Amino acid sequence: MTRSEHELSRRAFLEGTTVAVVAATTLNVDLGAQSPPTVAIAVESQVPRTTIRLTVNGVAERVEVEDRWTLVELLRDRLGLTGTKIGCDRGECGACTVLVDDKPAYACSQLAVWMDGREVTTVEGLARNGVLTPLQQAFIDHDAPQCGFCTSGQLMTATAFLKNTPKPTAADVRSALAGNLCRCASYNHYVDAVLAAAGTGPVRGTGGAQ
Amino acid sequence: MMQRDDKTFGVSPLQTLGHATARIDAAERVTGRAKYTADIQLPGMLFARVLRSPHPHARIRSIDLSKARALPGVRAILTHDNCTVIWGAGSVAGGQQYSDDIKKITKQQRRAFNNPVRFVGEPVAAVAAINRHVAEEALTLIAVDYEVLPFVLEQEDALKPEAPKIWPEGNIALNNRNEPLPITQRRGSVATGLQQSAQVFEQRFSTSFVHNAQMEPRAAVAHWEGDKLTIYTPTGGIANCRHDMARDLGIAEDKVRVICHYMGGNFGNKNQNQDADLITALLAQEAKAPVKLELSRREDFIGMHGRWPTVHYYKVGVDAQQQLTAIQLRGYSGMGPYRKNSGAMAGVELYKCPNIEAVVTPVHTNKTVSANFRGPEYPQGFFGIQSMMDDVAAKLKVDPVEFAIKNMTRLSRDEVPYTVYSLEECIRRGAAAFDWKARWRSVPGSDPGPIKKGAGFTYMVFRSGLGQSSAVVRVDAQGQYTLFVGVTDVGGGAKTTMGLIAAEALGVPLSQVNVVWGDTDTCPFSVGESGSRTTIMTGQAVVEAVRDLKGQIAAKGLPPAGQVLTASATPRPTIEGRVRGAFGAHFVEVEVDTALGRVQVTKYVAVHDSGRLMNPLTAQGQIQGAAIQGIGMALHEQLLYDARSGKPLTPGYYFDRIPTHRDAPPIEVSFIETDDGLGPYGAKAIGESGIILGPGAVANAVFNAIGTRMKDLPITRDKILGALA
Repeated sequence: MTRSEHELSRRAFLEGTTVAVVAATTLNVDLGAQSPPTVAIAVESQVPRTTIRLTVNGVAERVEVEDRWTLVELLRDRLGLTGTKIGCDRGECGACTVLVDDKPAYACSQLAVWMDGREVTTVEGLARNGVLTPLQQAFIDHDAPQCGFCTSGQLMTATAFLKNTPKPTAADVRSALAGNLCRCASYNHYVDAVLAAAGTGPVRGTGGAQ
Repeated sequence: MMQRDDKTFGVSPLQTLGHATARIDAAERVTGRAKYTADIQLPGMLFARVLRSPHPHARIRSIDLSKARALPGVRAILTHDNCTVIWGAGSVAGGQQYSDDIKKITKQQRRAFNNPVRFVGEPVAAVAAINRHVAEEALTLIAVDYEVLPFVLEQEDALKPEAPKIWPEGNIALNNRNEPLPITQRRGSVATGLQQSAQVFEQRFSTSFVHNAQMEPRAAVAHWEGDKLTIYTPTGGIANCRHDMARDLGIAEDKVRVICHYMGGNFGNKNQNQDADLITALLAQEAKAPVKLELSRREDFIGMHGRWPTVHYYKVGVDAQQQLTAIQLRGYSGMGPYRKNSGAMAGVELYKCPNIEAVVTPVHTNKTVSANFRGPEYPQGFFGIQSMMDDVAAKLKVDPVEFAIKNMTRLSRDEVPYTVYSLEECIRRGAAAFDWKARWRSVPGSDPGPIKKGAGFTYMVFRSGLGQSSAVVRVDAQGQYTLFVGVTDVGGGAKTTMGLIAAEALGVPLSQVNVVWGDTDTCPFSVGESGSRTTIMTGQAVVEAVRDLKGQIAAKGLPPAGQVLTASATPRPTIEGRVRGAFGAHFVEVEVDTALGRVQVTKYVAVHDSGRLMNPLTAQGQIQGAAIQGIGMALHEQLLYDARSGKPLTPGYYFDRIPTHRDAPPIEVSFIETDDGLGPYGAKAIGESGIILGPGAVANAVFNAIGTRMKDLPITRDKILGALA
C-alpha cells in the first residue's frame, strides 16, 4: 500500500469540500504581514497557506496556516497545545474533541482554515487561574482517567453536554459521550464523574470499592 | 491445602494503603499538561513515516528510491537494502521474549525490514523528512517491485501439507530449542479416563484476533547526542526497552536512555522495545537529527500485534457421579509469521481431574503478528474451557455453578496449595450478589422473548508470583522523601501505588513523598508493567528500601542541610511449596434481541481476591475496565481478513468496534481482601485478571438466553440471527 490509503482519502475529502471556504477566507487576509515562526514543523515555501484569525482559549490569535492542516495540527504543532490528542486522525475515537463556538468537534476532521473567525476551546482552556472546573475535579475524585489519553476529549464533550443538560441521567451521559472512546474502558468512572459534577450523583457509590 | 472459612478473610486497616486515593498525577491528566510521546518536540526534529507491505506474502525484487530521495525535505530512507538490524524481541523461539540466550539461538529472526515480507503491514521502508506531509509524499514515490507469494491466513489451513511455507522449517512456530513442537501438558492418561467415563462430550470453539487498540497510537522520538541515544517511547518497561535497544543496536546499555513519563495505554507487549523504536533510532542516526515517528491508527492495528486467535477442540469425560474423568484439549493458535510470545491456552488446570492432556500448537500464518494482550493465554483459554464445562453442565442438566464447585481444584494445578485460597468464596459471594438462582434459567432459551434474558458465569485463578525488582528512596534535611522507581504507569496508577506503599512504610502522608519515575537515567531497574506484577515486585522493593532508610535515620538522624540519606533495595523474594494466586468470579446477565441479534449486557457482578488493595479506587477501575474489554472481545472485536487478498478489513476503531460508553454496563465490583504476608502488605495481581472472565461469562449467558451455544467469538449479530433462524 502506498501512503496510508484511509487517511489520505480523508484529507483529500476534507480539502475537496472546502475549496470554496478557503477562497472566501483568503480575500480577507493580509498576505504581507509577518507571521510568527512555526514552532514545530518546517514549512515548505510552495505550499498554499492562509492567514486566519481565531480565538483560542480566550486569546485572539492571528496565524498563518497551511491549507492542508487540520485543526488538531494547528493546535498541537503550531500553537503548542498538546493536551488535545490524536487517537485515530479520522473521526472515529473522539480523543481530539475540542469546542468550536462551544460545540464539541473532532479537531482531526476540521481544516484549520475553517477556524477563521471561530472560537476554539481546548482542555488547556478549562481551568481559570489554576482553578479546576467542577468537572475536572470530579474526574480526579472519581479516578476517571486511567491512561489519560482520551481524557481531554471526554472532558470537552462533557463540558458542552453539562452546559446544555445540567441535570442528566446516567443514560444521558452515556449517549452524550458515545463518540469518545476509552480503551481502558474507564466508562463507569467517567459516567460517575460527570454525574457527580452535575450534582446528580453517581449511579453507583464509587470513590472506593464496595 | 489452606482452605479458610468466611471469617478468616479480610485485612486489618492500614494508615495510607487501602483508602481511595486520587492519583498523584491526576491534575496533569485533566489539564492537558501530561506530556505523552507524540507531544515531545525537539529542535530540528524530523518526522518519519513507514511504507508497509500491501501483500500478505511477497519477495521484494527491488526498491527504487531515486524519486523519493530527490524530493526536497527528505533526509533519510531505510529499507532492507541498507538496514539489516535484527529486532530481537520481534521473533523469539518459544515466545520467550525476555531470554537473551534464546534470542541468540532463534532461527526465525525478524529484522527491522524483512525480505520476504510476510504480512500486510510489515515495514518495507521508513522515511525521515522535514515534516510529516513531505514524509508521506516520499512514501508515494518509493517504487517497490514485489514477487507476490502464496499465503495462508488460518492456523488450521497452515498445517495442511499443501499450505505455502512461511518459513523453510514449515508453519509450526519453533519452541525454545528451535523444534516445531506444541505446548503440552499431561497428567494421567486421557485415553483411560475417557474409557472409564459414563459420558463423553466434544466441542470446537474459536476466538478471533483482538487488537490492543490502546488509545495512543504507537510513537517514538529518538535523539542521538554523540554515541548516546535518548528515546521517548510509550513503554511499560523502560529497563527492558533500554536493554533491547542496546542489544539490537550493538551498543552498551548506558548509551541508551529511555524516557516514558506518560503513556496512553498498554494492554500487553510493551515491556520491551518495539520496531517503531528501533526504526526511529536508526533513522535519527542516519539523518543526524532527532526524529519523531507517529503511527497512524491503521498502522497501529496492522503493523503491531494483538491477541492470538485460537481454535480449541475439547473432549471431556464424566463419570456417573458427574465428576470429571478426562479433559483433552487440542488447540491451534495463530501467531502471524513471527513468534513474539507463547501462543498458549490456559484453563484446563482449573479442574480436579486425574487425566488431562492439552496439546496447543502455535502456528505461523500471514496475518498480523499476535502476541501478549492483557492476560495473554487466559481469556481465549478460559472462554474455551468454561464454555465447554457450561455445555457439559447443561447437557447433564445441572447448575453450572454447582458443577464448577464440584469439579474445580482448590490447589494450584491440582498439586500445590495456595498461600490463601478464596476462589470458592468469590463464587459464592458473586452468586449471592448477582442473585444467580433467580436469574439463571434451568431450561436454556426458555425466556419467551422477543428480548430473551439469560445468565452465565466463569471463574479464574491468575498468577501473583514474587520476583526481583528495585527501588531507591532518599530523604533530605527537611524530612521530604523522594522515591525513585522505574515504573511508567500504563494506566493502572503504578506511580501513585508506589508512592502510597512508600508513605505507608515510612509512616508519613503521601504528600511527603515525591515520586520520580519513567527515566532510565534517573530510576533503578523495574520489572516492567506486564504480568500484573509491578505492585507485587517493585512494591516489595519499595518496602525494603524504606526499611533500610529508616534504619539509617534511626542510627544517624536526618541528614544535615544540603545533604541526603539514600537507601536502595533489590529484593529477590521466593516462596516454596505454596503458590500465590489472585482469584475471581464473574456473573453476567444479557438480553438478546431475537429480532436484531443484538446482545446487551444488563448486569455484571465481579468478585475478586487480589490480596490487600493498595488503592481501592484504582483497583476498582482496573476490574471495571478489564471486564468491559472482555465484553468487547465477546461481542464485537475482531481483525477480519479478506480471504482472497489476505488484506485486513477492519483495521481501525469503527470496524473493529471496541466498546463505547453505550456498551458499558455498570460493573459491580467487590473484593475479598486477604493478606498472605507476602508481597507488599499482601498485594496480589489485579490489572490483567479482570479481562479473563468476560468472554466466557457473556457467551454462557447468551447460551442461557437463547438455548444455542455460541462457539465462535465474537458473538456478532449475524451469528445470533443464524442460530435463531
